[in-house]
Amino acid sequence: MRKFLLIKSILVLIYSAAFGQDRIVSGTVISAEDGFAMPGVTVMVKGTMIGTATDLDGKYSLSVPENNNVLVFRLIGSVLHEALVENRSNINISMKPDTKSLEEFVVTGYSVQPKREVTGAVSSVKGELIENLPMQSFDRALQGRAAGVHVSSANGLPGGAVNIRIRGTGSIKAGNEPLYVVDGVQINSRDDATFTQSNPLAFLNTNDIESIEILKDAASAAIYGSLAANGVVIITTKKGKPGKAQIRFNAFMGSSQPLKFLEVYNSQEWYQLRKDAWTNTGSPIAAPNTLNNMGILPTNWQSLSPEQLDAVAAGLSTYDWQKQMIGSGSLKNYELSISGGDERTLFRISGSYNFQESTFKPVDFERGTLSISLSHQVNPRLRVENNLNISTFGQNIPFATSGSFLGNPAFSSSLILPHNAIYNEDGSFNTNIGGVFNQNIAMVNAYNSGSQRTNTMVGNLAANYQILENMTFRSMVGLDYRLVQGDQFRDPRTPDGSGVRGRASTQSNWNVNFITTQTLNWFKTFAIDHTLSVLGGVEYRSETNEGLSGSAIGFPSFEFRTIQSGATPESISGFWSGYRRIGSFASVNYDFRKKYMLTLTGRYDGSSRFGMDTQYGFFPSVRVGWYVKEEPFLRNSDVVSDLKIRASYGRTGNDQIGNFSARGLYGAAGNYAGAGGIRPVGLENRNLSWEINQSANFGMDFGLLSNKLIGSLDLFHRKSQDLLLDLPVIATNGFTSVTTNVGELVNKGIEFELTTINLERGSFKWSTSFNYTYIENEITKLYGGNMFLPSDPSIAVGHSLGTHYTQQYAGVNPATGRPMWYDANGNITYQPVAADRKYLGNSLPSHYGGFQNAFYFKGFEAIVFFNYEYGRVIADGQYNSLRENGTRLTTNALREVADRRWTTPGQITDIPRPYAGGPEVRSVNMNTGSAVLLKADYIRLKQLTLAYNFKPELIRGLGLSNVRVFAQGINLWTYTDYPGYDPEFLGAATGIIPQTKNFTLGIQAGF
Amino acid sequence: MKINTYDMLRSIGLAFLMAISLISCDGILKVDPRQSIDGFDALNTPENMEAALNSPYARLRAVSAYGRNLTAFGDALADNGLATNNSGRLFNETRNQAYSHYTHWTNFYFGINELNLFLEAIPGIQGTPEVPTATKNRWEGEAKFLRALFYFDLIKAYAYMPGVTVPELDKGGIPLVLEGVKTTDIEKALNRQPARSSVDQVYAQIYSDLVDAIRLLNDSRGIQFASQTAAKALFSRVALYNRDWGKAAELSNEALASTRGKLLEGEDYIAGWRLSVHPESIFDLRFENVSESNGANESIQATYTTIRNLENTNQIGGWGDFIPNPVFVNLIGISVTGAGPSLTISDRGGDVRAFQYEVGPGRVANGSGRRMECIKFASKNGFAFGDNIPLIRKSEMLLNRMEAYFHLGQEDLALIDLNFLKNARGLEEVTLEGETLLAEILLERRKELAFEGHRFFDLKRYGRDIIKQQGNVPFSDFRILANIPQAEVDGNKNLDQNAGY
Repeated sequence: MRKFLLIKSILVLIYSAAFGQDRIVSGTVISAEDGFAMPGVTVMVKGTMIGTATDLDGKYSLSVPENNNVLVFRLIGSVLHEALVENRSNINISMKPDTKSLEEFVVTGYSVQPKREVTGAVSSVKGELIENLPMQSFDRALQGRAAGVHVSSANGLPGGAVNIRIRGTGSIKAGNEPLYVVDGVQINSRDDATFTQSNPLAFLNTNDIESIEILKDAASAAIYGSLAANGVVIITTKKGKPGKAQIRFNAFMGSSQPLKFLEVYNSQEWYQLRKDAWTNTGSPIAAPNTLNNMGILPTNWQSLSPEQLDAVAAGLSTYDWQKQMIGSGSLKNYELSISGGDERTLFRISGSYNFQESTFKPVDFERGTLSISLSHQVNPRLRVENNLNISTFGQNIPFATSGSFLGNPAFSSSLILPHNAIYNEDGSFNTNIGGVFNQNIAMVNAYNSGSQRTNTMVGNLAANYQILENMTFRSMVGLDYRLVQGDQFRDPRTPDGSGVRGRASTQSNWNVNFITTQTLNWFKTFAIDHTLSVLGGVEYRSETNEGLSGSAIGFPSFEFRTIQSGATPESISGFWSGYRRIGSFASVNYDFRKKYMLTLTGRYDGSSRFGMDTQYGFFPSVRVGWYVKEEPFLRNSDVVSDLKIRASYGRTGNDQIGNFSARGLYGAAGNYAGAGGIRPVGLENRNLSWEINQSANFGMDFGLLSNKLIGSLDLFHRKSQDLLLDLPVIATNGFTSVTTNVGELVNKGIEFELTTINLERGSFKWSTSFNYTYIENEITKLYGGNMFLPSDPSIAVGHSLGTHYTQQYAGVNPATGRPMWYDANGNITYQPVAADRKYLGNSLPSHYGGFQNAFYFKGFEAIVFFNYEYGRVIADGQYNSLRENGTRLTTNALREVADRRWTTPGQITDIPRPYAGGPEVRSVNMNTGSAVLLKADYIRLKQLTLAYNFKPELIRGLGLSNVRVFAQGINLWTYTDYPGYDPEFLGAATGIIPQTKNFTLGIQAGF
Repeated sequence: MKINTYDMLRSIGLAFLMAISLISCDGILKVDPRQSIDGFDALNTPENMEAALNSPYARLRAVSAYGRNLTAFGDALADNGLATNNSGRLFNETRNQAYSHYTHWTNFYFGINELNLFLEAIPGIQGTPEVPTATKNRWEGEAKFLRALFYFDLIKAYAYMPGVTVPELDKGGIPLVLEGVKTTDIEKALNRQPARSSVDQVYAQIYSDLVDAIRLLNDSRGIQFASQTAAKALFSRVALYNRDWGKAAELSNEALASTRGKLLEGEDYIAGWRLSVHPESIFDLRFENVSESNGANESIQATYTTIRNLENTNQIGGWGDFIPNPVFVNLIGISVTGAGPSLTISDRGGDVRAFQYEVGPGRVANGSGRRMECIKFASKNGFAFGDNIPLIRKSEMLLNRMEAYFHLGQEDLALIDLNFLKNARGLEEVTLEGETLLAEILLERRKELAFEGHRFFDLKRYGRDIIKQQGNVPFSDFRILANIPQAEVDGNKNLDQNAGY
């Protein structure tokens, strides 16, 4: 009902305008540059709302009231032109290009600003920079493109999760994800898939993106209030442009290749390693024990000599399970778009198909998208717009996306003992697998199956109404709708399905996210020098998320793979959750002669997630800028072609907590004897509120030597306070903890961006872009005077988030080959205890960025792009499993590590002697403490593109306006000491499907 | 034109008014969860009361409770078994490593809070038609039985038994809280810091709850719920631990007289352990379906045996982490031949209890091959890893009574009970007196209740040392008591940690 009233009031607005008329004036508008007609130029009678736009031939005609005498001609990219009517009935105009307004425009939250007037810290990534990359979601493509924006791939699943941190990690327990806004619609970026990772941002074809703006400082983001603490990423999709319809066809195809294989031991090397391990335990029968571990001990072993036993091992073949499980995949992408428009209507329609296989079968990604953008000038005052992005993507799922599951190929293929054959001689799978991996992972992955499908619709409908010449009202409704479905089948021929004769699971998850925004814009220039513009608005957002899931067991045979064929329902479950948010906001911009700029913003926000007494909050910000270049002393400088100094301060909130975290609830839990149970599940905190970010930014934008060298430098200090932490409650009082706003941490750093044109001679051009970020994170306060969190001592005051709190490794005792650690007093110990832990290294990178060189010569292009990270220290679960040298479990070992193992007294090394069955007597696991910490610094050749643009005169005869062919490589080369699959990994990194190298060939054609 | 402008401004005003009405409208930010309800008035209907009473029962299924620890640790911490290190679980408990001990503190205090809230809600409960007094009595009786069970299981693990202590290590009983903390009462949750009550105070409270439970309950509900007989049976155990021999004899006598639970003999006894509900059960913990199972790693079946299915003892199921040691195998009268892959049982002797042990396939890749395993819980419910667990069996009543008779000086009655049990289990009658009679009674108790969580407490209440191959643990050692969770001690300045931790 409320929505209806709202729409009605908009309609009232639309129909309440009327016009007087007097005399007809007509004419033609041409370009002063080339003399061609200019369509789409707005022609207004000054001081009124009367106006029109020029047609395709540049012609216009409108009636001008008697007492009005000035026409205003306006087109973005041209100098505004005013013409006196007097007694003329025909006025022809030639418009000059506006070099100033040709400069970039930046979307800054509910408005668009010329870049020169931006006083916050905003990074802008243009669509063409990330065009045609074989990446399913734009977040992945942002890696290394903007200072202060750290992007890492959690894994290499096509369409998988990507981790973005804008200006560091600001929260300990709440979310750290930025807010994503697509064409004004705030979208939900939560991964709702159960069976694989489905990045919701993969719904959008990256080639439909016009630009991505990243609001980094709190002052720029504060207009988004309680959603903005982690920064805001604003995506604007491509729109039609006036003129002849343009048809573009775009295709590329290629392959995915493994980044690397881990070099593991062959059968004989492993036999020797394990035999050493048994010998070191003092076992008199090391060789038989080893053969027994491998599952190939001859029954008559007691009658065999040591040489004969060794001969058994010497005769073994080695099978490369990694080569079996990891191979090349194909990828392809096709797109067709048509865009154009006239003075009243602009349109763009595009469709795309994208397919990419991972290097692990059957993991893939297949997507179709349809994007429609329409806008229509109903009358000179009213413009309606519609943007619609519809997409569906499907993913064949891996056995597991991560973890030490025996069936997970990314985990097992390097660890399975190499003497195990993959196939029997008759071509069937070998099921007699020796070692802890008692299953044939090739078979497991061939027989199990499943898929995940994501259907998304993100769209909006907006009306812009020009109430007065300097006042516009905009009303927008938007929807972000997503349905995620998945199913998985554990085949009864494989270990996970055999005990239950097959298990099918299924999932459906709906996300409905509605938003409406009403804004009013007003501007006025006073006494020529003072310009004031004001934006005010209200916004309402509601989100519901619900799901259904179930599983069944007992299938007639492996040929029946869907849930209804199961004899026994195993589980059935569902959930519902939702929240609502409402806010009103205002922004006031003032500038004096475009030299001194001041912006004040404020947002009053309410969210249903927070406590009864703290549902509403206020988020203000202030930004100031000084455009120094306009000062007399710089105006004529040849060296300094551009200079702006800016400072900002703002407050934003982080509302990424559970929808009902503030409530004291009884939940359905504790079923007994077939009847449902309920129990208290949380304490009510009426004061639970958002986390607050207060951030200060000081920066400058500069251009030197006619802007051959442009760049910006930013210093920031981001203080996150009122951080949500769980205050422990003692069990005798019946609860575990209650979430309260108590903690504090600080992120501070430097960001630097530089773009240079190094050489421009004739048709040769060489340009370079470079960005660098330094960031420091420090926890400054926890609750109750605690110096560390009792539940997680690695979170400690004075240290960064992500710090490793563990025992320090002291290497191997050269005399005995046993691993040693330092105790709390700095002495050597074989059995470190909890009290010996120290703060050692940190898993957040402190330096990162990107570096691009582009070369152009007569239609040829070469783009070389690197990204880099420095200062990260992590443990890699996959490497750790291999690092144990097969001592604890019968698994394979990494050659590089196992060759380093201690073998002779006096040997200095970091890898202890192998000891069968695990740690030596009175010792701890060799992977304890910092022994496994690795430096994850790297420089990666992320992108290499070679392209050729055909000369227009060559292809004109074919009806083509432009043709570009290109060859591209992604992740071609990495400089790193990291011994695991990929230094970019996040988290435990055990059994994660790595990223891939991609090679593509493509063509772009315009008609 | 002026009129038009006026109209326009009016329209803008209207539009904004509508928009503002969105904000000012009361309840726009009110979103209620659909899978939970507000805590302050959750216990407001008879249906919700029934549901709230299910939750504490379900807590008994947890791994920290009878789902594993309270069933297995009583033997692992004592002298009946050894750990295979197949999965590594129970390895440290079997070696009596400090901090590897009972962990049900949090779970059971949560349960106690639920029961306190439940008991406080009974008088105010409204219903149409009105809730009958009989129902309210049953609620109160079951809640008090469960509260008594929770307190008893806590104090037996975290404090010394009444009168049998090591004074220099004795920190008293456990906190006694009888008032609930509501979901709205954040102040009480953060600030109430109860100290340890004395052992006697806690036992007095358990007595009082059980007296009420016996008065309020009858035996009409299923065996998986509290009943009058279950309350009497629990009372008999509590009294035995409290060395209140008269009470123990009286209540075990009454429990034995009840028709709830049937004392089994001979073949019936062997078959009883294969039934989903043990016929001897006086109170039987129910695992209703697969989703309630503790799974392939931590369920009691997975803990005790690698056998998945008794029809095919070579099919590998669980981990078989904790198995009987040779001393115990010998006590129960089983003889074996061979070792490793050729291990077989050559003779089970006359004791029918020997049929609760079987050679399992083991976990060759992880450590042990074929080993002797306890199969009291071996998938008897019809789905794997979800065995119902008898919390109180009829045989225990007989054992409680004979022990109480002995201490009451009625050795003749004790001997009659002892020989009755020996007969039922296929053993020769004996004629004993004095300490040798008590030793025999305790030996039968050890054999009968093995792998059901009793042995550690039976040693503890006599102040006896634990003699085991993994290293003896004298009664004077601090490891006899469990460590209280550190967070609990950190958060409650009035709570003393047990000595040595």
